[in-house]
Amino acid sequence: VGSLLMKETDSAIITVYIGATVPTGFEHTAAEEVQEKIGVDARISKDRGRIYFPISTDKLFQVHRLRSVDNLFVVVEEYDHYQFKESKEETLMELQQLASKLPWSNALKVWELNRSLKKKKGHRKGGNSTRVKPDSEASVADTRQQELPRETSPAGGDAKTESVADPESCQQDSEEALPEARLIKFRVTCNRAGDKHSFSSNEAARDFGGAVQEFFQWKADMTKFDIEVLLNIHNEEVVVGIALTEESLHRRNISHFGPTTLRSTLCYGMLRLCKPQVSDVILDPMCGTGAIPLEGAIEFNSSFYVAGDNNDMAVNRTVNNVSHIQKRRADKGSSSGLPIDTVQWDVCNLPIKTSSVDIIITDMPFGKRMGSRKKNWDLYPSCLREMARVCRPGSGKAVLLTQDKKCFAKAVSQMGGLWRKVLTVWVNVGGLHAGVYLLKRTAAVFGQTPEDVRQPRGMNTNPGSVSLDWCN
Amino acid sequence: MKLLTHNMLTSHVKGVTKGYPLLIKATEVKVNDVDFNPQFVCRMIPKLEWSALVEAADLLGHRQDLPSELVPDYEKNEDFLKKVHRALLEVEVIEGCLQCPESGREFPISRGIPNMLLNEDEV
Repeated sequence: VGSLLMKETDSAIITVYIGATVPTGFEHTAAEEVQEKIGVDARISKDRGRIYFPISTDKLFQVHRLRSVDNLFVVVEEYDHYQFKESKEETLMELQQLASKLPWSNALKVWELNRSLKKKKGHRKGGNSTRVKPDSEASVADTRQQELPRETSPAGGDAKTESVADPESCQQDSEEALPEARLIKFRVTCNRAGDKHSFSSNEAARDFGGAVQEFFQWKADMTKFDIEVLLNIHNEEVVVGIALTEESLHRRNISHFGPTTLRSTLCYGMLRLCKPQVSDVILDPMCGTGAIPLEGAIEFNSSFYVAGDNNDMAVNRTVNNVSHIQKRRADKGSSSGLPIDTVQWDVCNLPIKTSSVDIIITDMPFGKRMGSRKKNWDLYPSCLREMARVCRPGSGKAVLLTQDKKCFAKAVSQMGGLWRKVLTVWVNVGGLHAGVYLLKRTAAVFGQTPEDVRQPRGMNTNPGSVSLDWCN
Repeated sequence: MKLLTHNMLTSHVKGVTKGYPLLIKATEVKVNDVDFNPQFVCRMIPKLEWSALVEAADLLGHRQDLPSELVPDYEKNEDFLKKVHRALLEVEVIEGCLQCPESGREFPISRGIPNMLLNEDEV
């Protein structure tokens, strides 16, 4: 696809740097995915949640296959040690002057190319048969472009510029492709972090934006823009970029949201962490709307997922989300069935045979929006015990996300005979600081370690009696 | 509910020691199209309770003459693997119930979702 376009526009294939925002804590897994799918090394920025990697324009479409990425942009220029002037006035003046000196043209070419890539995919949805049949990779990207559930349609810019009825004229667009020739709408978004700056992000956006407008004669529009210019300032690191994604990709699979639905990029990061193998049985025993197992069933589809929850609405939403994706696949003519099932159950008393699960992956109740801190003191140990029972000794793993780090740490420390902590990834979930814990199931057979023979349910006061009448 | 899931489900009613496999009573069954991955099927077979799978498939009318016992060298028999694939992943119970073989307790299946929640007195 990409190379077809380049021949027609007769531009040389160029290499540019792409920046990607990823869930903080998962920069390394994202870099791994880039290496795996694009074959290049990504650099992790000191500005958390960002990675950068080079790509040649003939391979640009591949960036849309990345599942660990929230947003993408093409780098116009990057300064590692930008020397800001002393005063605010001078600094802002310099930023204004910068606008006319930056090497915009390659980045703008990429922006243009990216836009036509997206338009083509949009038209495939309508079943345009004159186009070459998309290979499976393009279909995945296709999927991602269309799957913007419940969000507003792409920024007015797409519809605004020469509305393209067919791919032919789409290519002609790219040929004349000098943004200056059309009335382009743009906006500048500035992210600023650091304590030594004399200016605010608003001021920088305003002044830089003003200069960009002067230079290109574009029209400024905060909501219906074609081009989004990014000005990212992190201490002495300054990156100017042009956005390649309109809406954040992070809610791509979910059409039926719940109160605490996890973004798909975070789900993907957690799944990569546990490295699903062919035929792995993967359980999410507190699945909520099913975001994690659904992402797994799509992206790591040689495993089998069982999503479970005790809540009526949760299991129904999960089934709705699965059906939605299956219907979309069926509409495109591919086999629709996904390797996932949904069960209604109690995580502390799972109706699952002992030692039959390879991986447990779940978002544990934080005690803020769901459940409560006091409940967690009982819930977490019960959960961990039950999860240890169903998990295969020796080879089993668990990847657990929680904000209640203290309670979790205590519960795990009391399960040393069954679970071993391998690593922790610190993440940010809806503004809350949380941890993703990777645990390995020890080789100890359940029912024989001191903890599970004598451990009473919960860590609150009275031991009570312990019932260990597991069926198998 | 797919039969692969059924193969792992067990009754956990208090006091029950022979709660597996659950008996299936289906009033609505559907067959889906799921991509065939021979490696997946091969590696899954040793993890299964084979007789439970065959009995369940038989009951639902989708046994496709799968043998009661595994024959050696099944890894290379693509025909066989495809049948197992269909039984495991493509046949789904949409409405019906699962019954505990020992206590007789029924767990309803609705919209493909088995409800395995127990009442307080059963825990």
